[in-house]
Amino acid sequence: MSVSTPLRETADFRLAALLSVALLTFSYTSVLYHVTDVVGGRTLMIVLIVGALAFAVAVGRVLRVRTAVFLTALLLGGGLVTYFLSVPASQRALISPGRVGEDTLALLTGLSILRLAEANVWALSVTPGPVFLSWYFAVRDRFGWSVVVGGVALGLVVLTGDAGTVTTLAGVVGAVGAVGFGAFDRYGGSAVQFDTLVVLLATMIVVSASLSLVPGGAADPALPSRSSTTVEANLVEAEDRIDVLGSIRLSPEVRFTVRSAEGEYWQTATFNRYTGSGWVRAGETTAYEDNLRYPPGASRSLEQTVTAKTTLGAMPAAWRPVDVDGPAAAETLVTPQGGLRPRTAVETNASYTVTSRIPEYTPERLRRAGTDYPDYVEAQYLQLPESTPDRVRQLTDEVTANESTPYGKATAIEAYLEATKEYSLTVERPSGDIADSFLFEMDAGYCTYYATTMVAMLRSEGVPARFITGYTSGERTSDEWVVRGLDSHAWVQVYFPDVGWVRFDPTPADSRETAERTRLAEARQNANADVDTSATEPDAGTATPTPTPMPTPSDSETQNVTPSQSNVDAVEERVEASATPVSPVDTGSGGLPELPSRRVLALWGVALVGVSAGARRTGLSRRLHRAVWLRYQPRSGDPDADAVRAFRRLEHLLERQYRAREASETPRAYVRSVARTADSERMQAVLGAYERARYGSGLTRADADAAVRTVDELVRESTYPGRLRSS
Amino acid sequence: MTDAGTSDSNAPNPALRVDDAAALADRIIENVERVIVGHHDAIEHILVTLLARGHLLLEDVPGVGKTMLARAVATSVDCSFKRVQFTPDLLPSDVTGVSVFNQKTRDFEFREGPVFANVVLGDEINRAPPKTQAALLEAMEERQVTVDGETRTLPDPFFVIATQNDVESGRTYDLPIAEIDRFTKKLELGYPDESQETELLGRVAGRHPIEELEPVASVEDVRDARETVANVGVSEPVRAYVSRLATFTRDRAPLGVSPRGGIALVRAAQARAILDGRDYVLPDDVQTEARTVWSHRIQAGTDDTGESVVAAALDGVPVE
Repeated sequence: MSVSTPLRETADFRLAALLSVALLTFSYTSVLYHVTDVVGGRTLMIVLIVGALAFAVAVGRVLRVRTAVFLTALLLGGGLVTYFLSVPASQRALISPGRVGEDTLALLTGLSILRLAEANVWALSVTPGPVFLSWYFAVRDRFGWSVVVGGVALGLVVLTGDAGTVTTLAGVVGAVGAVGFGAFDRYGGSAVQFDTLVVLLATMIVVSASLSLVPGGAADPALPSRSSTTVEANLVEAEDRIDVLGSIRLSPEVRFTVRSAEGEYWQTATFNRYTGSGWVRAGETTAYEDNLRYPPGASRSLEQTVTAKTTLGAMPAAWRPVDVDGPAAAETLVTPQGGLRPRTAVETNASYTVTSRIPEYTPERLRRAGTDYPDYVEAQYLQLPESTPDRVRQLTDEVTANESTPYGKATAIEAYLEATKEYSLTVERPSGDIADSFLFEMDAGYCTYYATTMVAMLRSEGVPARFITGYTSGERTSDEWVVRGLDSHAWVQVYFPDVGWVRFDPTPADSRETAERTRLAEARQNANADVDTSATEPDAGTATPTPTPMPTPSDSETQNVTPSQSNVDAVEERVEASATPVSPVDTGSGGLPELPSRRVLALWGVALVGVSAGARRTGLSRRLHRAVWLRYQPRSGDPDADAVRAFRRLEHLLERQYRAREASETPRAYVRSVARTADSERMQAVLGAYERARYGSGLTRADADAAVRTVDELVRESTYPGRLRSS
Repeated sequence: MTDAGTSDSNAPNPALRVDDAAALADRIIENVERVIVGHHDAIEHILVTLLARGHLLLEDVPGVGKTMLARAVATSVDCSFKRVQFTPDLLPSDVTGVSVFNQKTRDFEFREGPVFANVVLGDEINRAPPKTQAALLEAMEERQVTVDGETRTLPDPFFVIATQNDVESGRTYDLPIAEIDRFTKKLELGYPDESQETELLGRVAGRHPIEELEPVASVEDVRDARETVANVGVSEPVRAYVSRLATFTRDRAPLGVSPRGGIALVRAAQARAILDGRDYVLPDDVQTEARTVWSHRIQAGTDDTGESVVAAALDGVPVE
């Protein structure tokens, strides 16, 4: 086998290169498409992508390069002007050259596109340009330039953190493939080069999918890592976006203490944009100035002094903070949702004082609140990804069938979730929409799942709601609240006209607290440091359970659905298990061995392709195939074909023992020259059958079978070295 | 029929069984060998040419037995044999025949030339002027001659053995490639080796054995054997092999083998298969025939000869 012969027609290489460009295009447009899926306009997005692609293919051969680049610039410029005009006037005032520069820098350093105020318009604006130019070059067979354009677009979405590992990998594989196959197409590729490229691509995929040097964020390795993160790291330390994870742990370390008259939920971040797989906080923060807005309805004042016990990336405070005292004020940022953020992290033992206005209301007041929502609330807090399955809304309709008021719906959903789902920190992260999966496929989850699902359900009913992260009130000592990592939590706020944002917590409180207490006891047993402050030593005896969440949700309607004792035991077991490496909670498949996830299977597939290309390169697969082929000949329906194959086997046998047949040597001359032994008679018979089959008028079945049998014998005998020659 | 006892010797198609045709060829070869010493291969080649409905060009120095070989073949088959000695003053009508006025009948009467015979020996064909050569070559191709507007068919089988020698090249008219293409084969006999020459001298010391040679086959036999040869199977792989070889010569030499050359090779290979007692052609037959059938048809470049181009083709073209 000569290895340097061109493997395929060049047309095939060109096709492969075009497919690779398609993969690259798909990778970055899928990210941008996801943006429009979350925020709206996905149909238009598809039209734009297909349109730009079709236009590039149509004019690619005609247009000169300069014209095409100019056209692309025009597309991009026009798109950005559209974006500028679509930004609300209030936000537009914030746009200045310096600000745009900062924003661009922010985008390139991990600011999600979803955090832009009009993310969908931005995505729609920038998409057609690169798609057009990239395909313009691809159509002209200039794959290098095509990849440069596509690569820049992919690089942008990677830097914003919106592209996940798989997407990025697909894009990079597409880019390498396009350049490689494009070069084969232009300069002529050989089988060696083709196999080498396949091995390279497979290695890229497998290695990058199983290792990652950049922990956290969207760039997690595709294979599950062996250790899970903590609830807190997931919920609180994330500033602007939250990705819903799988199994998670509780950290028993003390984070901060709060000196406050009441225990409250200490809120750290507010999220308005649901992506289907997580949460994003959209909009720009502004520096803190005095006199933040009060809740629209009645409220009472609560002063809290928070002392950090570790470095804090957030400023926990009760809703709704209206005043920050002391030197910390200058270092405080305010989010468009009304939350607080430190400009830099709060140092250990530093403290700050926040005054909050706690909304005051009664269930009766909330029932009467009506649905006359302010415009900004309707615009921001009813968003759902367009890809959200319809059955979420249908189920919510059923759950809230008897309720007419938003408050009634909220309590009904809360009760439904508490009653139907179990609390567990050990779950396998679903692949689709979180709310949909939690409702229809999962039996258990933790606070993030409960809160996310409740917001999605409320929004599907037209009730404005948002996702909140922070800490529960913590352990009470004589004069302050000690808050640990394991107190971190996620809950829901629902907007009521003339009342403001009201907290709902759909997570079953008992189960959660049991899990938290168990983890704390375990940590104390292991004598972990930083678990206690001087006031919370176990024998101080002052520990009290976290008070029931303060407002009304846990009224009579939810009382009867608190988990039973046996349920709590189950939770304990699971928490125990969660300290060990991931073990999926629910298989429900009896004694069947568990299949690896689809992602792992896909990786194995890719690895297999790479290995087989390598095996072919090293000749291993060919030798293996030959060995089987030599020993086993099934009969086909065609005696001639059987005789031909029998002779090929004989040829192979003789090749191993003597030499290969020269290409220009006739079979007869070959057999005559190598078979000078007693076996030459049998070999002549096989040769005769071959000649009649191939050059003559054909063979009978019996003759063909005789030839095959003769070769079978010869092969068997040759298995014992020396037999053939000495006999 | 030579072997009337065999059951299907009367089968309408082919007229002669493969075995019988092979036996016939063997008989003729054996018979010729009683006269000609050595040259077994050359005799086989002549038989192949005869059975493949071709004509033969013998090229060699004078006196190696070219004419004797032709006579021996003609005598072995019981058929008419004529000989033309080509000279510089030979006219075309000396070959084809001429119409003469008969005073008695007061009409023109055609006198057949030497070309009207089953086996025609054209001796030293390159000594005649091109016009006369052309008359013979046309007769070979058409198997008929046209004199004074009247077309006359030549006998069947019609087998021309032409000889030329390459000494005295100043006084010859070399056959152009286009015309030499009409000969199926060109053979060189070469000198016999010592033992062969010793035996040869012994045989001819008394009466020349050609005087006592008896025919071993009839004209009918030859016709039937030719029919059998024409029915030998040529499979697609073999045809493809021949056309790959032809393409190779066209790529290698300024003038490669013509399609006529390809046809000639396939027919020769068919005849060769019969000599081997097979009713299908093997690539081996093609290889055996290629040198003698093709070498003279190729206008080779400066570094090549026709033989070396054919040898390179056989070495370089894969058999499938």
